[in-house]
Amino acid sequence: MQAKPNIILITADSLRANHLGCYGYPQPTSPHIDQLACQGVLFEKMFAPGIPTQPSHTTIFTGLHPVTHGVVAHGGRAKLARGTPFLAEMLLDEGYATCSVDTLFRERIWFGRGYEYLIDPSLHHLFYASVTQEELNERAFHWIKTVPKGPFFMFIHYWDVHYPYVPPERMRGLFYNGGNPTDRDNHALDEWWDHPVGAMARDTWLRTPSGLITDPNYVTALYDRELRYLDEGIAALEDTLEKQGMAEDTMIVLLADHGESMTDHRIFYDHYGLYDCTVRVPLIVRWPGGKLRTGSRIAPFRQLSDVMPTLLEAAGVQPPDDLDGGSFLKQLTGEEEPAGYDRVIGLESTWQAKYYLRNDRYKFILARQPDLLGNPDRELYDLETDPGEIHNIAAEEPKLAAEMETEVETWLAEKLEATGQTEDPVRKEGAVAVAIWEQHRV
Amino acid sequence: MEQEPQKKNSVVPDPPAKPDPQGVPEEPVQVIRPEDEAIVVERLRELGYIE
Repeated sequence: MQAKPNIILITADSLRANHLGCYGYPQPTSPHIDQLACQGVLFEKMFAPGIPTQPSHTTIFTGLHPVTHGVVAHGGRAKLARGTPFLAEMLLDEGYATCSVDTLFRERIWFGRGYEYLIDPSLHHLFYASVTQEELNERAFHWIKTVPKGPFFMFIHYWDVHYPYVPPERMRGLFYNGGNPTDRDNHALDEWWDHPVGAMARDTWLRTPSGLITDPNYVTALYDRELRYLDEGIAALEDTLEKQGMAEDTMIVLLADHGESMTDHRIFYDHYGLYDCTVRVPLIVRWPGGKLRTGSRIAPFRQLSDVMPTLLEAAGVQPPDDLDGGSFLKQLTGEEEPAGYDRVIGLESTWQAKYYLRNDRYKFILARQPDLLGNPDRELYDLETDPGEIHNIAAEEPKLAAEMETEVETWLAEKLEATGQTEDPVRKEGAVAVAIWEQHRV
Repeated sequence: MEQEPQKKNSVVPDPPAKPDPQGVPEEPVQVIRPEDEAIVVERLRELGYIE
């Protein structure tokens, strides 16, 4: 038994929690991930305080809320301050061998901090998200087998369930129950073509020799096939660890930076909008040598800002004092009872400029500028009666909506004061992708 | 707070049976050509999504 565990942090980009069997999906999309959950601990209410990829990963690696670290937008202007403690850097300082099998550092340089080895097989593709789990695993397994002489930290960033959804040929036929994928009379996706990402899909990965894919059920099946393919990759990783005799000493943390909207809320196959399909994420921890309370599910609210301090504690490293997140390690082992937050407040500033407040009963969404879909600037959902967040009751419950809005604004004012900021970063950045798109349309 | 024990080492099922192709329209074949991927990159770059 090693004194310090190996840690493999896995992001499955755009993996929607409730498309996994262990989160209740009825289709067998994830048998190996489900087994991982049975052998470890699953978080029922893990939330991303910032979406999409760049804000969320900055939170994962710093333990800070996006309002604190400042990276609120994907492709925004803010940079992570150089002095901000970063997970990989801290583990490197503690003697860990560190390796990232990922591409994020090519876009934002701080994602490369602390890694002695940066491996990026997506260089073989024009679009980095086209890299497959097999390409990532091939390099990751080689490194695992040949490099570490002591404890290691590896970050693997899988992109299979991120668009474009082009699963391997052997997945054909799965998860689609008939119909005509290219029916010209099916106009269910027409609205998507007006969005630049939808137009891109129409012009590329949805265009086939038999015609344009028009059936949203088929696109969802493609997503699910990609998930099944990713699931095979997770099984291969586990198998490699087992064969190397490393499984016992290796903590695997599988999570998503954000989920994915299928057609929910008129957001098609993308990851914006602060609804649960996108801000609630899976998080599963397996660590055979860590004496975890295996097979358990932790129900209280937790946030992705809790990941960094948890991994540091597992490595025997004192987390920084001023993090927004807190370690849940002792809850994994049963030394402490499951506990968490009464509420989660999060944001996005890429396709929309909004905040959300989520508690056990309600979701409140507050817009800083109008969105492209024409949604009202205040949305309130009763999740007990309306878990799909369909019926906006802000007008019917104005007192509750006002209270939740005050709660968001008070929290934000306190956070800005504590971090020496004078301006709301979401107002400052706005919806950056929309602004850039509109420049191109002129 | 909730702690629901689950069974360990559950058996991983075989892939689900594929539907009977009789009477079902042929599934389209997705082909991403390099020029398609170039379009994806160009469009996402225009949106500031990638550098």
